[in-house]
Amino acid sequence: MSHTVLVCDDAIFMRTMISDILNQAGFEIVGEAESGLQAVQKYRELKPDLVTMDIVMPDMGGIEAVREICKQDPDAKILMCSAMGQQALVVEAIQAGAKDFVVKPFQPSRVLEAVQRVLG
Amino acid sequence: MADPKYAALFLAESREHLRACNQLLLAWERDAAASEPVNGLFRAIHNIKGMAATMGYSAVADLAHRAESVLETVRGGRAATPELIQLLFRSVDALEKAIEGAAAGKDEPPAGLLAALDRVASAGAPAPAAPGASAATPPVARAAGVRKGPVGHLVGVTIRGAAPMRGARALLALQRAETLGRVTALRPAAVAFEREDFDGRFSFHLRTDAPKEQIEAAVRSAGEVAAVAFDGNVVIEAEGPAVAARQIRVDLHRLDAMMKQVGELVVARNRLVERVRGDDSEVSELAAVISRLVSDLQSEIVEMRMTPVSEVFDRFPRLVRDLARDLGKQIRFEVEGGDIELDRAILDELGDPLLHLIRNAADHGLEAAAEREAVGKPAEGRILLSATRERRSVAIRVSDDGRGIDRAAILAKAKREGLADAGVATLTDDLLLRVLARPGFTTAAQVSGVSGRGVGVEVALGRARALGGSLDVQTEPGRGTTFTLRVPLTLAIVRALLAQAGEERYAVPLVYVAETVEFDARAVTALRSREALVVRDRVIPTVHLRDLVAARAGGEPARRPTIILEVGERRTALVVDALLGQQDIVIEPFDAPRGMPPYLGGATILADGAPALILDAAALV
Repeated sequence: MSHTVLVCDDAIFMRTMISDILNQAGFEIVGEAESGLQAVQKYRELKPDLVTMDIVMPDMGGIEAVREICKQDPDAKILMCSAMGQQALVVEAIQAGAKDFVVKPFQPSRVLEAVQRVLG
Repeated sequence: MADPKYAALFLAESREHLRACNQLLLAWERDAAASEPVNGLFRAIHNIKGMAATMGYSAVADLAHRAESVLETVRGGRAATPELIQLLFRSVDALEKAIEGAAAGKDEPPAGLLAALDRVASAGAPAPAAPGASAATPPVARAAGVRKGPVGHLVGVTIRGAAPMRGARALLALQRAETLGRVTALRPAAVAFEREDFDGRFSFHLRTDAPKEQIEAAVRSAGEVAAVAFDGNVVIEAEGPAVAARQIRVDLHRLDAMMKQVGELVVARNRLVERVRGDDSEVSELAAVISRLVSDLQSEIVEMRMTPVSEVFDRFPRLVRDLARDLGKQIRFEVEGGDIELDRAILDELGDPLLHLIRNAADHGLEAAAEREAVGKPAEGRILLSATRERRSVAIRVSDDGRGIDRAAILAKAKREGLADAGVATLTDDLLLRVLARPGFTTAAQVSGVSGRGVGVEVALGRARALGGSLDVQTEPGRGTTFTLRVPLTLAIVRALLAQAGEERYAVPLVYVAETVEFDARAVTALRSREALVVRDRVIPTVHLRDLVAARAGGEPARRPTIILEVGERRTALVVDALLGQQDIVIEPFDAPRGMPPYLGGATILADGAPALILDAAALV
């Protein structure tokens, strides 16, 4: 059975790209969210195996969303998607409960490695 | 042997031993059958005896010797009674007094206690009595190295050089290690992980029974790990010797002096960088190198000064125990986050305010056992002292599960004293704090359950502000009260956002900046008759810096950047004329002249050499 994934990013471009990478590797994208608030709601509905989370989003940023999701489900497996130069934010996200991170621009192999680490 | 250098060492080390003694006695009191505390106590007191004798402080050595004799009888199989433990508590107090006295030139025996100790020692002495050796020539101390080391390993980790965000990766590796046991002695300190130039090498001590293979597997599961080394093989500096926790003692004043000099160096560096900006000569290249070195030096010194809060927290369990005895209350005191680190200079300032807050919680916050049981609470009251990291500050909380503060009574009082309008219906936490912190509030005995809080809260609030931090209170009737003291991780050098209003520039410490937005007239609304701004669905009251500082020069610009300040849960939108970027600033603390507005927290020299005032975010939100 393939793992289910919720992709959270406010840019359609990024959502599409991450979805493609994960789809090709056999994952099932069960939902997308374009804000932190949506991410929290959809996580509750869909209970995905994995969440990819952008850091900067409108209506509650990614870090706060991580905090909320982990409050509901401490075992949530969240992978942060960050841009260069956001190290302090990534550190904060990890402290909030994120399990791993990838840095844009994405290389499919790097993304999949991180996903394996999070799910393993 | 009156060399002042040795005297200072003796004093510092004795204080450490005494602190350990108090911790051990408390542990012993909880479990009278445990042998570990007894052995620890014996070693600590034995060490004090040896040092004191060497220094020629015979009264201290004598007292330590007698306390040691009492402990010897326990090691010989005698049962520990509460009276015996209490006697040892008193002995530790007396030792402390005697040690401080001896260091100050008065080596005097404590009155009364010696006889009590001797009586107990001889009453429980095993067959051959302890040798009556004179205290000045104590039995040869066994090697100090017999102290049992904690189980575990020193672990050194190197993150692959090509990995992005090595600091964040390091944190993941550290978290994986933490699943196996307790992590201490992290080097560099965790703050370094947030730096873009973190080189990916760190070490820590892991207290665990897990074998090395398992530790290595856990660390490697974080990904991007190039190497894991253990114990003797852990090397943090490429060219340096193994890190194996070699330490030296350094006088804090020297670190302070160094910090100040580095502060000035940072300002000079900033000016230099500003000066050669855009200049592509060799000078600008050199300036960049110097700039990086200064940054490294700065963070190195800050890390050197980082001290776990347990240094201060550890003295409170004893205090609460004594308070509980005096007050006739049952109190369970818990401490969390003792390994969170803070700049030594800040930590030193926290003892007093925390003492007041804890004393208040025990005295006024918690009810007597009978009163608690009458409302269905456990007879034993609970006080929690905790530290947590938040962004670049540390929050220290003192919580009790007592009666809470009577808001109606406080509100009535606030109205009587003109602190609140007659029409105000509810007392906000902010107003509550202002009333509690009123000097002299304490004398008002008619408000039951809060009298006496005044002095403590005033001290805590004043100290928090002086350190660039804040104090908050949350209270719920019947459920308890929590005071939260927030302080920056380190003093002196902070990263700040520069803002302009009129012709002046102001610095806002980044710790308190949640985000910056553009002032949007369409998003203006009102909150309790104050102007407010809707930002991401949150209504945030606004403050216009121009109005605040009465800036007249220059017309109000069309575009107005807005800084969202955040202190704890509270936010304020600070509307400014322009944002001028970020800069490391050195805070020059100044003694506030009377009448200086509370929203000014200090002054600094900017990179271009001009002075600027620092806004105190905590006073604005």
